[in-house]
Amino acid sequence: MSRRTVYAWLVLGALLLFPSVTSIAADTPNEFLQLVVKLISDSDREFRAAGLDHVRTSAGGSEDTKLFAGRLPELDPAAQTALVSALADRGDPAARPAIVGLLKSSADESVCTAAISALGKLGEPADLPLLMTYLSSKSAAEQAAAQASLTQMRGEKITKALAAELSSGSPTTKAALIEVLADRRASNELPAFLTASVDDNAQVRTAAMAALGQLGSAGQLAALLPGILKAQRGGERDAAEKSVALVCSRIDNEDDRGTQLIKALDAVDMAQRDQLLSLVGRVGGKKLIDFVGQIATAGDAERRKLGIDALSKWPDASTADTLLEIANNTKDSAERSQAFQGYVKIAATRDKRNDGQRLDRMKQAMQAAKSNEEQLLVINRCRTAYDVETLRFVFPYVDKAPFAETACETIVELAHHREIRDPNKVEFNKALDQVIAISKNPEVVERANRYKRGETWERQAKAAN
Amino acid sequence: MLDEAFAVLKQYDWGSDMAPLAPIEDAVAVSHDQAEVRRDLENRLIATLQSDASRDAKDYVCRKLAIVGTVAAVPALASMLGQKDYSHMARMALERMPAPEAAQALRDATGKVSNELKVGVISSLGSRRDAASVSVLNVLLNDGDPAVARAAALTLGAIGSVDAAAVLKVAATSAARDKPAVIDALLACAEALLAGQKQTDALAIYRSLAADNQARLVRLAATRGILACTSKQS
Repeated sequence: MSRRTVYAWLVLGALLLFPSVTSIAADTPNEFLQLVVKLISDSDREFRAAGLDHVRTSAGGSEDTKLFAGRLPELDPAAQTALVSALADRGDPAARPAIVGLLKSSADESVCTAAISALGKLGEPADLPLLMTYLSSKSAAEQAAAQASLTQMRGEKITKALAAELSSGSPTTKAALIEVLADRRASNELPAFLTASVDDNAQVRTAAMAALGQLGSAGQLAALLPGILKAQRGGERDAAEKSVALVCSRIDNEDDRGTQLIKALDAVDMAQRDQLLSLVGRVGGKKLIDFVGQIATAGDAERRKLGIDALSKWPDASTADTLLEIANNTKDSAERSQAFQGYVKIAATRDKRNDGQRLDRMKQAMQAAKSNEEQLLVINRCRTAYDVETLRFVFPYVDKAPFAETACETIVELAHHREIRDPNKVEFNKALDQVIAISKNPEVVERANRYKRGETWERQAKAAN
Repeated sequence: MLDEAFAVLKQYDWGSDMAPLAPIEDAVAVSHDQAEVRRDLENRLIATLQSDASRDAKDYVCRKLAIVGTVAAVPALASMLGQKDYSHMARMALERMPAPEAAQALRDATGKVSNELKVGVISSLGSRRDAASVSVLNVLLNDGDPAVARAAALTLGAIGSVDAAAVLKVAATSAARDKPAVIDALLACAEALLAGQKQTDALAIYRSLAADNQARLVRLAATRGILACTSKQS
């Protein structure tokens, strides 16, 4: 008996033994697909969802995928959006041509957004030009979807192709591409980012500096500085400085960090270096204190101003003594004011020091204060030292007219912290009674009353600019 | 020690110290593979059930008989099925005992106990997924008390056999009083059949419920069922 005959007998035997199975086999595969296809276009969302579940999960081949995708042109936009999303989850690239076709033909924002998102999973290099056009779309949703899809598409080829587009395109597209490349961790494209960091367009520069902040290393520090200098003062400059500070923070050793930044600063001329002192302040470290300290006490008033500004931006209180010294020794009243304000700001920083140390600095500042304004500043910043001793230090100022309102505000701020208020209830209640009697600010009085009753107070969110 | 434990048990009420009952608990554990210990323990438990022990003591006994009880305990438990205060305890034991006599006792009780207790007895047959009860339940489907008829329908659904489905199908097309319950039960049946690899039978039920004359949620459930059946086969 040949092998084929044996097989035929086996099949016949199976058919005779399991008639119900054979009858199902004859009609159910089609029934399943037909039902899914029918449900996809059902007007009832829940029935549609039942069909889409199977589009997502059923293990048919590419032919099934094409069958499902082939329904797209017949559906209404809501159903198209849902089906595109389900096909994306199915993950079969066989759906791609239908989705690209839909993207090109549909004017519906939700449909296009879903199709753009789907191409992140199902797309191929040939789809890049199409997706890139949506980076400058008027629709924010389409833009975001295009950016996400370009980030999601896999392969070094995609990265290369995206980088090649950096030299052309509108500023909006360029900026978006830089963000995509940064998200793709395209560290080979750092030279292109450095070029973009001094672009004439602020949007492109900002994106490039952010990308360099994520991917740059100590070796690029000198090359990053022109990006800061090119940035407009204000938000863009701040962001650029923060990006470079981020690169510096990846140098583990504090001394190395200072050395490398100083080395990078040596590469720019004196005038530019002074403009970068603010960056030095953001990076911090003992080595850099000396570097900035020399500038802050140099002969040139303009340079001293920049130096004091840098010392005032230090991330911790290590520049406090230097600032206090400058404040005490300078004969220039404006410089005195700048240094004193910087000292109080730095002394009040909630860094690794404890509240007692912060209060000690405030007491030191009060001794050094030479005007009511300076004393008011100290009383105001005392609120960052969460300690009952701070209450004892501030409380006497409630009875001194020029300081009363600020002292009241500081007392309620301290009382806001239950961990110091509750263990010192009697003392706080006495102070809060005084605040209620003296303050003319209704919010301060209300807060004082609430804290006395053991209630909390919800801080109002600051109004957006 | 076991004697003392049973002496304490007679006066037992929930909330008092259970420590004196520990020998009984230990005996239950040991009896798992020691037939003689099991027989002795079961006899003691049955004797307590037939004594004037407290209600809580009998509750405790039923919980233990659910674990160690055999056909020997069935008559004592069956006699409690008609008693309002003890019926649910007896059912709890009879539901779990593997002996077919336990199911028979429950079936017999459906013709004897009050309607109020009958609903519980019927649901115990469902808990046992007792296929032999289909004909009894078929009769109860048409009971004058809607609660009994509903319990019978839901129990047929819980049994989930081909026979149960056949009875429910007839009820679904006739003027059954509680049609939603019958349809719920039918869907439950189909689900059980599908889980038991009986796609053809399940599919037939789902198809019968997917028609336009059914309520929307029934059609949705049936449609999902058809997809589940046919996707397995495709």
